[in-house]
Amino acid sequence: MNSTNETEAAKDPILTLNSIEVLYDSVLLAIKGVSLEVPNGGMVALLGANGAGKSTTLKAISGLLKAERGKVSRGEIRFDGQVIGDSPPQDRVGLGICHVIEGRRVFEHLTPDENLEAAAPISMSRQTLKSEKERIYSYFPRLAERKSAEAGYLSGGEQQMLAIGRALMTQPRLLMLDEPSLGLAPFLVVEIFDIIQKINREQGLSVLLVEQNAVAALKIVSHGYLIENGRVVMHDTAAALKANSDIQEFYLGGGEAKNFHDIKHYRRRKRWLT
Amino acid sequence: MDWIFLAELSVNGALTGLLYSLFAIGLVLVYKSSSVPNLAQGALTMLGAYIVLAFSLSLGLPLWVAIPISIIIMFFVGLGIEKVALRRLAGRPIVMILMMTLGLDIFIRGTTMAFWGGTSRPMDLGVSYDPFFAGPLLLSRIHMIGAGVSVALFIAIVFFFRSRLGIRLRAISDDYMASWSVGISVERGVGLSWALASVVAVITGVIWGEIQSVDQSLSLLLLKGLTVAVLGGLDSLFGAVLAGILLGILENVGAAYLDPLVGGGSRDLVVAIVLILTVMVRPHGLFGRHDIERV
Repeated sequence: MNSTNETEAAKDPILTLNSIEVLYDSVLLAIKGVSLEVPNGGMVALLGANGAGKSTTLKAISGLLKAERGKVSRGEIRFDGQVIGDSPPQDRVGLGICHVIEGRRVFEHLTPDENLEAAAPISMSRQTLKSEKERIYSYFPRLAERKSAEAGYLSGGEQQMLAIGRALMTQPRLLMLDEPSLGLAPFLVVEIFDIIQKINREQGLSVLLVEQNAVAALKIVSHGYLIENGRVVMHDTAAALKANSDIQEFYLGGGEAKNFHDIKHYRRRKRWLT
Repeated sequence: MDWIFLAELSVNGALTGLLYSLFAIGLVLVYKSSSVPNLAQGALTMLGAYIVLAFSLSLGLPLWVAIPISIIIMFFVGLGIEKVALRRLAGRPIVMILMMTLGLDIFIRGTTMAFWGGTSRPMDLGVSYDPFFAGPLLLSRIHMIGAGVSVALFIAIVFFFRSRLGIRLRAISDDYMASWSVGISVERGVGLSWALASVVAVITGVIWGEIQSVDQSLSLLLLKGLTVAVLGGLDSLFGAVLAGILLGILENVGAAYLDPLVGGGSRDLVVAIVLILTVMVRPHGLFGRHDIERV
């Protein structure tokens, strides 16, 4: 199944990043040449440690960089073959890019129902709005049970589900998830990842997943990119990444213990090489 | 103790208080979207009143034409303020936005002074000042009308916040970043809240203009309006209404009993005490939301 996905991927990527560079406040270079591709209908993970530039990459794609006074200073982002340049976030959501930002960030003083309504395009008819909400509740039955409580009082897992559901209301073609597993119990991570996979399969929704939890992420994606210090240092299929001994050592918590000096040395060499 | 006197003081106080609420509703609308108390709301109120007068006195239009025209103009003034003055401040410290509203206040007061000078002009709504008795209580007609308008506006805004557009505004007031992430235009939402606050300012300006006539002192309503908004919790419309009634009663009753003792002027003292105590004892006001923390 993976192999058919890959051939499709090669001819028809929904998202292409071509060596983009991001500057914060016109001085701080946060990412330095990230290139990646998300196949149409595929699932891709962006892995890496804290501060490697994963979130910044997503913000560059969704346009949220602007709110933090950052900008893409070099390279180009293509969505569905079209360069998205400098457009504001709401235009990109209109194109079909939706970014579930890190830390859930539901609208705390709104009910889950209102959270979903707030995200629906203003042009959506009442009827569609209703059926779309039903669809979201069918993916996340837990939310339906609590649809009139204030969202701030939901549990962490429920809030993450709401954040994903809210993003789905924007009718995305590409869903970008930033650390959906953060701070959640392992069984919830499994539940949420299962649902993401189900939506991907049923709706053909393309997914770009940013994760520190590489084990969970590599289970559901077809490809992975490893980002380190603002650069993509490795790119392969999920299976190959899982088998890679360096990845196992650094991100999957396996492999033999090495002494710290060697690790440092390895990393430095790795950066120079790429 | 004279109970009828006390009741009359309280009812008239509550009516006046609802007029403070009217003003405070404008503050709450802006606070919800921009997280700053809009120090220019008093000046906007005065500007609204002057624009109404410009159409009715200078151009000779009837008030029922002049007021809607002014409402439309002020709606766009509100949108303009966001576009010109506030948009570029996005992401800056809140205190900068606060200073911007102060700057706007001074700017509007200076401009109106240049255009219309310092003389006081009447806003003649044609409301009778004949005594009006409800049972044994002597009430003021204009205050009753104003209080009615205030309550009606409150109800209208509450319903507005349940509409799809209103839900988006509430989403913006919860979280800018999350709003952007789902395609809500935060800039336009903030602009809309300023526009609505400016519309409220026209209505407040007309009613207060009738009560105390239109001059520069109309902008000083800010102090009482701000006290009411803080007591109500700054981001709560219902809080603004209730706090207005409360402050109105306290002020009227307090002043009636204190004035003979101190020789007048205790009205403002009551307001000051309420403001200081609110900030000390209950900083988030009666109904202000504290950020939700799950246990």
